[in-house]
Amino acid sequence: MGVSVAPVELEQPEQQERTRSDVPWVTIVWNDPVNLMSYVTFVFQTYFGYPRQRAEKLMLDVHHKGRVVVSTGTREEMERDTEAMHEYGLWATFRKES
Amino acid sequence: MGRPFRAEKAGIRIDLDVAERELLGHLFDQVAELLDPGDGDGDRGPVDPLAAALGLGPAELSDLARDGGAPGQAPLPPQDPALARLLPQAHRDDTDAATEFRRLTEYGLRTRKRDSLQLAGAALRRADAPVLTGEEAQALVKGLTDVRLVIGERLGLRSDGDADRLQDLVLRDDGDGPDPWAGLAAVYDLLTWWQEHLVAALRPPAGRSWRPGR
Repeated sequence: MGVSVAPVELEQPEQQERTRSDVPWVTIVWNDPVNLMSYVTFVFQTYFGYPRQRAEKLMLDVHHKGRVVVSTGTREEMERDTEAMHEYGLWATFRKES
Repeated sequence: MGRPFRAEKAGIRIDLDVAERELLGHLFDQVAELLDPGDGDGDRGPVDPLAAALGLGPAELSDLARDGGAPGQAPLPPQDPALARLLPQAHRDDTDAATEFRRLTEYGLRTRKRDSLQLAGAALRRADAPVLTGEEAQALVKGLTDVRLVIGERLGLRSDGDADRLQDLVLRDDGDGPDPWAGLAAVYDLLTWWQEHLVAALRPPAGRSWRPGR
């Protein structure tokens, strides 16, 4: 393995991009009576890479409030996340943040 | 009953008997068939194998053939409510956005779901006590979800309250012989129990960010 001379900061922008609050599109997951709470948490951890505590918090919000914003980003990113949620059998939609 | 799924070094070991694995494989076959973009719901037309290899379904092809965006047949949500639950509308307020999303993604989503169900089904039938690879275990947990969504829809589960009442249906005995819905509800219950155990076996460790195979 070679020695990298690139500053570590160069690896940061992607993460910031995804969670930046001024990016105007969101992916929403809706409550449904079939998906298990444990499975919904598992999907949030597996697909988004969220730590368990954050994934559980999001899952509980879906369960109690009926829906939750699971990711924020560009329209293309949100369409990709929505499609991925559908692949896991979760009921997801995307929309422009209002 | 013992634990049906166990995490081992080599993968997820399945401890289900032959009849149980056959039942699961059969349900996976049925949902794979329901999702198959080749026939499916409505008249989407035959699938061109070359177009399919490029990820283009009939909806995309008809769009290409339309020559410049004249309003043609936009893909509608599936009429079968169970299929519509597997391929839901992706936008609640903007029908055009939902239609465009469906046009671009539905064929690929149907194909990936079908392939995933078939992969899991083949793994279940592989040997007496199969050990699943990570990919197969992911296919199995998604497949259990899709099968439960279809059966849940057939059983009319629309709210969390409906799900709670399911247990009553399973246990109901009104003396008129077996209720066919009770049979389906019992299968649903069994699938729920299996999925709960599989998720536990696959569960990432607490407190850490975790992505399999990335």
